[in-house]
Amino acid sequence: MINKKIGVLLLLMVLFSMGAQAQLTTSVKLNEVLVVNEDNFVDDYGKHHPWFELYNNSAGTVDLRGCFLTNDKSDPRKYMIPKGDVLTKVPPRQHILFWADNAPTKGTFHVNFTFDPNKDNYLALYDSDGTTLIDEITIPAGQRADVSYGLDIDGIGKWAILDKVTPSTNNVTLDSNEKIENFQKNDSLGIGMTITAMAVVFIGLMILFLVFKQIGNAAIRTSKRNAQRAAGEGIAVSANAGQESGEIFAAIATALYEMSDDNHDIEHTVLTIRKVQRSYSPWSSKLYSLRQTPNKK
Amino acid sequence: MQESFLQFLGENIQIFLSYTGFANATPGHIVMLLVGLLFIFLAIKYEFEPMLLIPIGFGILIGNIPFKDAGLQLGIYEEGSVLNILYQGVKQGWYPPLIFLGIGAMTDFSALISNPKLMLVGAAAQFGIFGAYIIALQMGFDPSQAGAIGIIGGADGPTAIFLSSKLAPNLMGAIAVSAYSYMALVPIIQPPFMRLLTTKKERLIRMKPPRAVSQTEKIVFPIVGLLLTAFLVPSGLPLLGMLFFGNLIKESGVTRRLAETARGPLIDVITILLGITVGASTQATQFLTLNSIKIFGLGALSFVIATCAGVLFVKFFNLFLKEGNKINPLIGNSGVSAVPDAARISQNVGLEYDPSNYLLMHAMGPNVAGVIGSAVAAGILLGFLG
Repeated sequence: MINKKIGVLLLLMVLFSMGAQAQLTTSVKLNEVLVVNEDNFVDDYGKHHPWFELYNNSAGTVDLRGCFLTNDKSDPRKYMIPKGDVLTKVPPRQHILFWADNAPTKGTFHVNFTFDPNKDNYLALYDSDGTTLIDEITIPAGQRADVSYGLDIDGIGKWAILDKVTPSTNNVTLDSNEKIENFQKNDSLGIGMTITAMAVVFIGLMILFLVFKQIGNAAIRTSKRNAQRAAGEGIAVSANAGQESGEIFAAIATALYEMSDDNHDIEHTVLTIRKVQRSYSPWSSKLYSLRQTPNKK
Repeated sequence: MQESFLQFLGENIQIFLSYTGFANATPGHIVMLLVGLLFIFLAIKYEFEPMLLIPIGFGILIGNIPFKDAGLQLGIYEEGSVLNILYQGVKQGWYPPLIFLGIGAMTDFSALISNPKLMLVGAAAQFGIFGAYIIALQMGFDPSQAGAIGIIGGADGPTAIFLSSKLAPNLMGAIAVSAYSYMALVPIIQPPFMRLLTTKKERLIRMKPPRAVSQTEKIVFPIVGLLLTAFLVPSGLPLLGMLFFGNLIKESGVTRRLAETARGPLIDVITILLGITVGASTQATQFLTLNSIKIFGLGALSFVIATCAGVLFVKFFNLFLKEGNKINPLIGNSGVSAVPDAARISQNVGLEYDPSNYLLMHAMGPNVAGVIGSAVAAGILLGFLG
């Protein structure tokens, strides 16, 4: 019994940790970098500095406090994202921007390194243990001024020179609702949608039908086998067990319907076939409110 | 001194009067108040879906009391108001899955399990959704709006609210009211088409009595049902997941208290909140538009199409069934998911032609299959258009 409980507990822990994983810091991706900032986004001090953006690619809020940022492979703990700053929490599918200005005294989002436009720049994000690599990228040398390098689709795409510089916003934005426009263009009558959707509805319910036909057949076989076994043991079984006529069901249904009719509900003396049961609960059980009888040995 | 006091008093009364409903009423408000009163009248006098029409009707009254916007956070569309907070369950789509939980906990799928081929009737009736979708497109609605309007044909209020909140939030009030109104009017809409499309001989078909279903089958149904349907249409997961979960806690036999809560107090609370907020969301300025009238027309049409599709499918299906296994086409209308009203109509129309031919049990099969079918259809529309 105890082993069973431990097993269930372990299973729940495994499931919980798997579920929780989706909202851990591992969901955060390096998303966009601007190495040469001449006339682009300014920081809160009105200065132009290189910057890089992280993207929370999960459906839950992620707190980056205690994680590490670095531009040096041999020093994963170069800049620790400070703890105790509420702004280190990144909401789902949103961004956080850091300034690579080598001025950490300016605040949480100013790291203690910068980029060199004349050579390849390494950038990595490490988990709070300082050893688990979450994401890394090497930005090729020779980046053009005010042109950013980033993922072509937020969080999941490939690194490329981006058409637009998009600090703290999505790298890809849609100017139109492509899905709807495609339907308007290619299926203006709605016939395609109707055929597809009806086919899916039919397939879904057809599969259910086939599965339950088989389950039903198996249930009937089992019930017959049990009846035969019972007959063998001399237990009386009705020949048409399980094959009651529709009239019986209809009569029961009508009786139930009439019983639940408003007219009957207000009669206190009406006889019903409603089962009267009390819900058992340890909170209401008399047994638990009594003292244990002393056990005399 | 006295004169200035009287002037002050007069001005204050004037300001007060400018805030009253009388000063701010428009013809639109009056029309909507009359609609609300009509709903309440229909619910009390004719018992048309009273559980829904009374909260919605009263909600319409609440939502259409005219007032001057003075930043007091009164209206349903004012962020932070009590009504707005309650409305989030509709807007964010979390009332419908909770309603589905209750529906699952009160639905007996035995009729469907004992005769699983009736699932296909439930599938056929979903044509009402896509028939209305096609017509809505022709009437100038864009595909996502047409999808949200089409779902009215599923005859399932929570599904209609869930889908319209995702695809066309601005049309949600009209869609919800239309769906619930036509669900209440199912006894009037369906019978003429059932009679029109069937012969006397067909109406007299007697179906085989359904077999008894074991508890194991009842327990397996929600599990297998969820896995199969949700794997096929993951976007229907909120509705399908809660529907089958509710059914499992009912059928497992070991979670009776949970099942009782889900099908009793929980669904009642959510029905009250859903009804009152959907009603209140139909403010004259948002609701009295040409689009709402079009939606009402399309809603009626979708119910007619769904009924006809269900009945005609049974007739077609009968061509392939052996004598003795044939299905009475009068249960075809039950493929729409207005549970159990549509099944009750099959029973009543069937009894008109043969007083000893009870179709209720058989009609419950396609009826509950319709609930699954409309949730799957909603998932498909959401997947394609969301």
